[in-house]
Amino acid sequence: MRLVLTNDDRLGVLKDDGMVDVSAAFADIRFRTAHDRMPRVIASLVERRARVDAMVATGTPRALPGLQAPVPRPPKLIAAFGNYREDTNRERQKQDMFLESPDSVIGPGGTVLLPDHSASIFHHEAELALVIGQRAKDLPADDRALAALAGYTCAIDVSARGLGRIGPARIGKSFDTFTPLGPALVTPDEVPDPQNLRVTLAVNGEPRQDYSTADMEYGVVEILAFISSIMTLVPGDVVLCGTNHQGLGALQDGDQVEMTIAGVGTLAVSVRDPQHREWPRGVDQEMAATQRAVGNR
Amino acid sequence: MRIAAFDDGKIGVVAADDTVVDITDLLQRYDPLGPEDLLPDLISHFADLQTDLAGKVTTGGGRPLSEVRLRSPLTRPSKIICLMGNYREGTDRPLQILDLFFKSPEAIAGPGDTVVLPPHQADIFHHEAEIAVVIGREAKNLSPAAAMDAVFGYVAFNDVSARGLGRAGINSFLGKSFDTFAAFGPWIVTKDDIPDPQALHITIDVNGERRQDYSTSDMERPITELLTYISSVTTLHPGDVICCGTNHQGLGSMQDGDEVVTTVSGVGAFAIHVRDEHERTWQRGIDQAAGERVKAAAQHPVAATPGGTSS
Repeated sequence: MRLVLTNDDRLGVLKDDGMVDVSAAFADIRFRTAHDRMPRVIASLVERRARVDAMVATGTPRALPGLQAPVPRPPKLIAAFGNYREDTNRERQKQDMFLESPDSVIGPGGTVLLPDHSASIFHHEAELALVIGQRAKDLPADDRALAALAGYTCAIDVSARGLGRIGPARIGKSFDTFTPLGPALVTPDEVPDPQNLRVTLAVNGEPRQDYSTADMEYGVVEILAFISSIMTLVPGDVVLCGTNHQGLGALQDGDQVEMTIAGVGTLAVSVRDPQHREWPRGVDQEMAATQRAVGNR
Repeated sequence: MRIAAFDDGKIGVVAADDTVVDITDLLQRYDPLGPEDLLPDLISHFADLQTDLAGKVTTGGGRPLSEVRLRSPLTRPSKIICLMGNYREGTDRPLQILDLFFKSPEAIAGPGDTVVLPPHQADIFHHEAEIAVVIGREAKNLSPAAAMDAVFGYVAFNDVSARGLGRAGINSFLGKSFDTFAAFGPWIVTKDDIPDPQALHITIDVNGERRQDYSTSDMERPITELLTYISSVTTLHPGDVICCGTNHQGLGSMQDGDEVVTTVSGVGAFAIHVRDEHERTWQRGIDQAAGERVKAAAQHPVAATPGGTSS
């Protein structure tokens, strides 16, 4: 099932080229805004699945309207540090993650707004995102951990470099609009092997990132085990699995960005920079080489 | 005004005579989805509630503080934002670059609660006493002049910190996000009761022994500047908590059986207990080496590294 949230707050399931409205299956869930609604919807997906499937089977799809992120405001947004081998033969690095501002999320078709901060560059980072479906602590590092997942979606972890005291993590990734997410929450039954997904990202039609989740240093179940050994996960939490830095490039004013995870979906956003700053276009080879050097150390 | 959460899902005003007046029913008009909405609703509608709150307090009928069980004043803040080292600590260093990190909102612990040390092999678990700001309204791109308008009040905060975990060379600060590692209380004191937040005395005592003891007048960047900066990055919401950083002179270990009391003058004091299944032990008293390391680093402030390590 591919669950989407429309701009006018309807819940839908993707079917053929359109969407079947399944809002009625969740009508009893009280909410104030999409922010507090979606974690509740996501937590109830498993118990409502049969009813939703029946609605989709008999429903007539209509044209797909504009979408919000499937989790417009996750309770927590967690991101893995460099988690791909990137053609190196390095030992696995120590596993580590950090928290980003959950207010940085935007949806498909949204606009990444580059802030008035003196970053050295703004990079795109295409990533597989995990959406948590149930409260979880101390998950085992095997397939049992997958039971905590509501599903998968696409994320672009936009990253301002050169800000802050220690590297660009956290603050440079926490600006409002810096986490495009979507288009759909894809349930695990549609993704038989999360470690065999092709992730691509193109800017203005020019290919940049192109890698497989088979290259992850720590796979999805290890990510879930690690983070849940530290903090309780709650429905709607989003965990970004890290990116492969081979293929990163600048984002700048007017760019059209499209990322795809095979079997998960395609997420497109645009970029606006009121200051019209410019960086070289194409793949940032220096960044790519730096990351490989780290890996071989 | 002192606003407390107490017993099971109740909100109260702590009156001048130290009785807790239950005001939970006043908040039902906002149709909360759950108890986690009560305090944010009170914060969002505080101006409209003034008359009713005053009426409740005048009517009295509160219970003595000693007879209620205080809870973390926010059940689950929408964000906990922490400032990196933000005190001069007896150095004459130039201002450091502002930087921050996020702490898991699932980590909260309240007055009388127990901080549980995880089995992870940290070098040490430190207490960090701090003043924390509770945000009063949605805010983005605050000007210095308007920054204090976004403040609702203050709490005393113990930013419990596991050291030495994570990848070398990058500080993920994940060692501060273990469940129960965000201890704060004892209530929220509204900003009108704190005429000068840059002149507050902060202490922490472990088993009655004084450890940290410093003034918020030593902050490198005052609260107005912190709010201006943070709101230039991320939208703030009612009930977001901003921890203003600690003075590392006086840090020390927290270990099994410890009772740790955090006090901020004018705000209040709260105690937490520490439990460690593994009963690990560290040297007691002030961790002088940690304090010296921070002072030494301060003489060589870290500049921003363009294109530096990535994630």
